[in-house]
Amino acid sequence: MTNREKLSDLLLDIFLLEPEEFSFDLTREDVETWDSLAVVSVAVGVKETFGYHFTPEEATGVVRVQDIIDLLENKGISFAD
Amino acid sequence: MKILHEQQVRADLDELDRAWVAPETFIFLPEKSATGEAWIAERLAGIPGDYAEGHFILLTSGTTGEPKLVIGSRDRAEALARHLHERQDSEAVQATVCLLPLTYCYAFVNQWRWARSLGRDLVMTDGFSRPAELEAALASTPASMICLVGAQLPLFHQHFPDATFPLVQRVHFAGGRFPQEHLADLTRRFPSATIYNNYGCAEAMPRLTLRKAHEADDAADVGRPLDGVKLRLDGAGELTFQSPFSAVAFMDEQGFSAVPDTQWISTGDLAEEHPNGHWRVLGRSGEVFKRFGEKISLSSLLKSVGEVWPHAAAFYKAHDPGGEEAHVLSLAPHPDKKEVREILLRFRKDFPRTHWPLRIESAAQLPVLPNGKTDILALPTLADKQEHWRQRL
Repeated sequence: MTNREKLSDLLLDIFLLEPEEFSFDLTREDVETWDSLAVVSVAVGVKETFGYHFTPEEATGVVRVQDIIDLLENKGISFAD
Repeated sequence: MKILHEQQVRADLDELDRAWVAPETFIFLPEKSATGEAWIAERLAGIPGDYAEGHFILLTSGTTGEPKLVIGSRDRAEALARHLHERQDSEAVQATVCLLPLTYCYAFVNQWRWARSLGRDLVMTDGFSRPAELEAALASTPASMICLVGAQLPLFHQHFPDATFPLVQRVHFAGGRFPQEHLADLTRRFPSATIYNNYGCAEAMPRLTLRKAHEADDAADVGRPLDGVKLRLDGAGELTFQSPFSAVAFMDEQGFSAVPDTQWISTGDLAEEHPNGHWRVLGRSGEVFKRFGEKISLSSLLKSVGEVWPHAAAFYKAHDPGGEEAHVLSLAPHPDKKEVREILLRFRKDFPRTHWPLRIESAAQLPVLPNGKTDILALPTLADKQEHWRQRL
């Protein structure tokens, strides 16, 4: 499974989205279930899936799916696959 | 004081009839109980002599696990059985088939006492312990009435998926939330029956309100009070009552307490009165709690689950890693991925995230208490538990 697939599976599970509702262009405004508790879930899920622990500032600063990818790529986790 | 065990009564039902007409007060004890004989003997010794005759005593521990002896008046139980007969228009009903133990106040008054007071047949079964016998009794007893708790519905689904029971004339539910979302299935299973939602508690011995199932489409609607029953809310929104049929005294860990007619007795349920005179029971006071400032009603959550999951489901309370009170959903039997997804999407549609469970778990079967209700206290430690989903917190 590629890192993009891992991330999409994780976010489908956290936001309870149908596969057809998901895209890597999603923003927090697009997703009704991307609330403050989901911010915590994203941080915990990223730690479990990719091994990187967001700082509190990083976690609350994530407002797009692409932000997660950017943060992880900066830590050497590639999404080019 | 005479002690009567359920096993004795199973072997010879006349034992119960003899105890009822004898002057001496008797206690009727369930076969399976976590309460020790020593605890019971000690409490019985503390009951004043005024109650030594003309009463009966049942043991309740409910879902809290805290035992309590509930002392009832035989005259009141007779009066309630007759009143229910009228309010439930049961003249045409000729028999009752028992699926619950008679030590449960619901079966004791609504079925055994009703049958005896009104001269109807009483058909004892071992419930779902012997499903074939139960099915035969339901299929062959003319003009019958049955009393169920909601947790038994999945067992009907499991054991008699396609069976219908046209001889059953009355189906009563009590002992928890009414399974309104399964009304169409109930009507199919019992095509000749009038279905009732009965509400009460052991302290009411046992009925306070009732409604015909088709009079409302809201599971929380328990209908209007029985004649003479008064209901009101206390300051915390908990439902309290005065009833001419209620238990007359209690004995528990705190000691003996008589119940004067002027005393308002707590049901332990949160409720509200509808302008049409019906009452809505919102759940046990312990089943409504705040999570991140949001009021969570496990009863409302269960209703949503029931709309997409026809099998057994129950919530138990837990804490999330931050120490905040939360809840876990237990299902039985084990669901597949699609079924779990459907439940989750239902949560997403109906509730904000704070209401979603911490986890969704399953077991082959949910444990049940002798009175047919789900044993909530046993849910966290089920041996064959599987986890299907969790909130990452």
